[in-house]
Amino acid sequence: MNPILSVEGVTAGYGRVTVLHDISLEAGRFGNVGLFGPNGHGKTTLLRAISGLLQPKSGRIRFDGQDIVGHSARAIVGAGLIHVPQGNRLFPDLSIADCMALGAYSPRARPHEAENREKVIKLFPKLAERWRQRVRTLSGGERQMVSIGTALMSHPRLLILDEPTLGLAPKIKDELCASVMDISRGGVPLIVVEQDIEFLLELTQQLYLVNHGAVATEIKPGESLDHGEIMSMYFGH
Amino acid sequence: MSALAEILFGGLFQGSLYAMMAVGLALVWTTIGVFNFSHGVFMMLGAYIAWQLVELGLPAAVAFPVAVVVMAGVGWILQASVVRPLIGRPNIVLVVVITTLAAGSLIENGALTIWGPRSKQIPALIAGNTTIGGVGVSLHQIAIIVITPLILAALWMFLNRTRLGLALRAVAQNEDASHLVGLNVTALYGLAFAIAASLAGLAGIFMGGYRFMSPVMGSDPLLKALIVVVFGGISSISGPIFAAYLIGFFEAACSYYFGLYWTPALLFGVLILTLMVRPEGIFASRSRGLA
Repeated sequence: MNPILSVEGVTAGYGRVTVLHDISLEAGRFGNVGLFGPNGHGKTTLLRAISGLLQPKSGRIRFDGQDIVGHSARAIVGAGLIHVPQGNRLFPDLSIADCMALGAYSPRARPHEAENREKVIKLFPKLAERWRQRVRTLSGGERQMVSIGTALMSHPRLLILDEPTLGLAPKIKDELCASVMDISRGGVPLIVVEQDIEFLLELTQQLYLVNHGAVATEIKPGESLDHGEIMSMYFGH
Repeated sequence: MSALAEILFGGLFQGSLYAMMAVGLALVWTTIGVFNFSHGVFMMLGAYIAWQLVELGLPAAVAFPVAVVVMAGVGWILQASVVRPLIGRPNIVLVVVITTLAAGSLIENGALTIWGPRSKQIPALIAGNTTIGGVGVSLHQIAIIVITPLILAALWMFLNRTRLGLALRAVAQNEDASHLVGLNVTALYGLAFAIAASLAGLAGIFMGGYRFMSPVMGSDPLLKALIVVVFGGISSISGPIFAAYLIGFFEAACSYYFGLYWTPALLFGVLILTLMVRPEGIFASRSRGLA
C-alpha cells in the first residue's frame, strides 16, 4: 500500500530560525501514525508545513502522490488533507452550527454536508444540545469536539490532530480518545501528535519520535515498546 | 418642540452618514486588523466619480450605482497594493496607517489635478423640501435617513445569513483556522475593503447631494467616523452603528445649544472620556469579530 502522505527531506522554519532539519516520514502505509517527542522540537511546525500554513525552505511533501509544496492551504483542504490545530483556538464568536457550515465550505465537502453533520452529531451528541451556542461559551473538551467536528465536516481523506487532549480533565480526555478511535474505525486515516504515549500506542500502528527537528526513531508495526524505553528516548540515556 | 425636532432630525441625518463611514472602518479592522486612513478619500472619490458620470450625461439612477461599483474596485485595488503585501509583518498596524495615509494623499491630490479645486455638486436623490414638526428639511436628507438603515440591515443580513458573510466573520476571528477550513483569506480581505469602499463612496454621493464637494471633503467625516468607532468600540459592526447615531444626536444637540464652534471640542471631550473610562468602546466586547 502506498503512503497517502510522504514528507521527503523537508527543511522549514520561521525567518532565519530553522526548526525542521531535513525531516522525512510517511503516513498511511500501515494505518494511523503517531508523532511524539519533547515540546519545541518541530512537531507543530511540521504539521503547519504539511497543511500549507508555512512554506518549507526545501523538500517535498506528497499527498496522494502529488507534490503539495507551494499549494495554498485552501487547495490542500480542497484535496482532503485536514489539519486540526493545537489548542482549539477556533472561532470564539461563531456558533457550533456556523463552525460546521464553515467546515463544509470547500466544494469537495459541500455535497456531503448533511451526511457529515449526522456523523458529527452521532460522534459528539453533546454538540447537538449546544448547537446555537457560541464557541467561547463552551468548555475546553467541547471546544475540542467542535474543532474535530469542523474537520470531519471537511470530508477528510487524511486527518491530522495536533495534541487533541491537551489540557483536558482525565474523564473528558478518555471520552475524546474513544471518539478519536471511533473516527479511525470509520475509515479515516489519522496522524496524531500526542504526549500521551499509551493513547498513541493504542490508536496508531506506526510511531515517530521527533527530536531536534528530525525523526530520531521510527517504530514500525510489530516493534512494541515499553514505557521505560520511550522515557529513555525522551530524556536520553 | 421645534428644538427637539431639529436635534432629532439633525442627529438621524448625521448619524446615517457616520454609520455608513464607521461600518466600513469597522469591517476592515475586524477582518484584517488594520486601520484604513484612506477611508475618507474613498468617500470623496465616490462623490467625484458620480459627479463625472452625471456630467457625461448619465441619469443619476445609473450614475450612482455605477460609482458605487467602481468604488468597490478601487477598494479592492488599494487593498491589493498597499495592504496585502504587508500582511504578516510584525508592525503591520502602524505600517498600514502610513501606507493608507500616503495612498489617500495621492488620490486626494490626483482628484485635485483631474477635477480642480472648484466646488461641485451632484443631484439630490429627491429634489425639493418639506416641513416636519416646524423644521424645514430637504427630501434628499429624508431619503438618506430612510435608505441608510436599509443598507446597514442588508449588510447585517449578508454577514449573518449568507455563507460568504459567515466566511468574512470567520476570517475576522481567526486567520489560521480560516485557512484550515479552506477559506480564500486573501479574497476575503479584498472583499472587506471593497464593501467598505462602496459604503464610503455611497456616503460621499449622499453628501455631495446637499453640500459642495471638494477633494478634501472626506477628511472631516473620517475624523467623525474615528470618534464613532473609538466611542462605540470597533470589535463588531453593530457597535459602530449605534454609536454613529448617538454621536449624531450628540453633535446635533451640541450645535443647537452651544453652537457649531464648540461642537468639535465637545466631541473630542467625549472621545477622551471614552478612552479614559472604557477604552474598548461602550458597546464592545474585548474580542475581535463581526456580529
